[in-house]
Amino acid sequence: MSTEPKRAPSGAETHGFLGEEFLTWLWFRWETEGGEFHLPGGRVVGIALDDFLTFAAPSDDETEQTLRHGLPTRTEEARTALRQGRRLRRARLILAEGPRQWTVTIDGATMRLSGAKLPEDAEECESDGDRSADRAANWLALHELLHALYASFLKARLVSEYRKTAGEKQAQWMQQ
Amino acid sequence: MPSIRRSGGAVYFFWDGKLPNPGDEAFAAALHKRRFRTIESAASEEISAGWITPLDPTGDSFTAEDMDAGNCTWLRIRIDKKQLPRRWLQLHRDVAEKAKGKKLSAKERRELKDDLMDKLLPRILPTINMVDALLYHERKTVVLLNTSKAVGETFQKLFFESFQLPLESADPLTIGRRAGFDADTQRSLERAEPIRWFRENAKSARPVDAPVSVVEEASA
Repeated sequence: MSTEPKRAPSGAETHGFLGEEFLTWLWFRWETEGGEFHLPGGRVVGIALDDFLTFAAPSDDETEQTLRHGLPTRTEEARTALRQGRRLRRARLILAEGPRQWTVTIDGATMRLSGAKLPEDAEECESDGDRSADRAANWLALHELLHALYASFLKARLVSEYRKTAGEKQAQWMQQ
Repeated sequence: MPSIRRSGGAVYFFWDGKLPNPGDEAFAAALHKRRFRTIESAASEEISAGWITPLDPTGDSFTAEDMDAGNCTWLRIRIDKKQLPRRWLQLHRDVAEKAKGKKLSAKERRELKDDLMDKLLPRILPTINMVDALLYHERKTVVLLNTSKAVGETFQKLFFESFQLPLESADPLTIGRRAGFDADTQRSLERAEPIRWFRENAKSARPVDAPVSVVEEASA
């Protein structure tokens, strides 16, 4: 008999679907409201989906579907996936706040970032130390923006009437 | 001094509890306790992981200035791995089997491997992997600039062994828990279930428990 203690499931395992719903919600908000978000602290961030989307497999027996290059959100394959109620597992996003722009691929279930590109170094950077400080600030800003956007999503998603209100609007958009 | 990367993968972690201020000696001492130790001349297959700094790849010194990057502390871990190349082992086994005229027994294979390890490993240099992490002390957040699961686990272990504080991955649940929601919303978060938009045999993608009238209007 094994004596190894049972590992508690991680948040990615129990609540990974929320990250996938978040990416799908960003797409919905981008298409229906233009992708500008007003965040706490007076921050305004613009988002857009870029050239890489992966739809989560609806079940263990089915496959993920990846669309890349060009404008994958405009393809018939993407619309079909939405009509089938599939969530985004991964998406490449462009985020902009003022003159700063980030591109990053987010894995919804784990919230891991890959292929991130920070804004260009500030013009005032004259030394390697300046550049490091600027980049450190941009890595933190990326984290803060994504987490504030996710908190906005959760705030809407976790109200008891969500499925009959905002969720229904999203359902109508998905079935277009 | 090199610069922090401007691109790549990243995983964010949080911690709770008191971490020494990166400017304090206690912080440097904690890193020093689990500093990198070389396995350059080791005669066995080994992995060594420990703290170094961006300016000193040996793990001998941890001055606050070497790790200062404006609003964060620039940490670096070094993971060296020494392993007998499998192709060398296969090659020597093929030669031994040809000389013997038949396959080696399990015992002979083990003896051959041990013999090769003794002879070759001291001459083999380890592979080196250096990974950066940015620690934002006030926000109790650290970002590891690498997405490998193995590296992430090594980093979490090192951090715990150094500071006795566990790191928590920033996943959809932990980020939500730290979003400052009221108790009701927190409960809703813990109990949340996926929305099943998909319904078989239906063109509509409405949520399964949405009112029928709304769906009828939508599909009219």
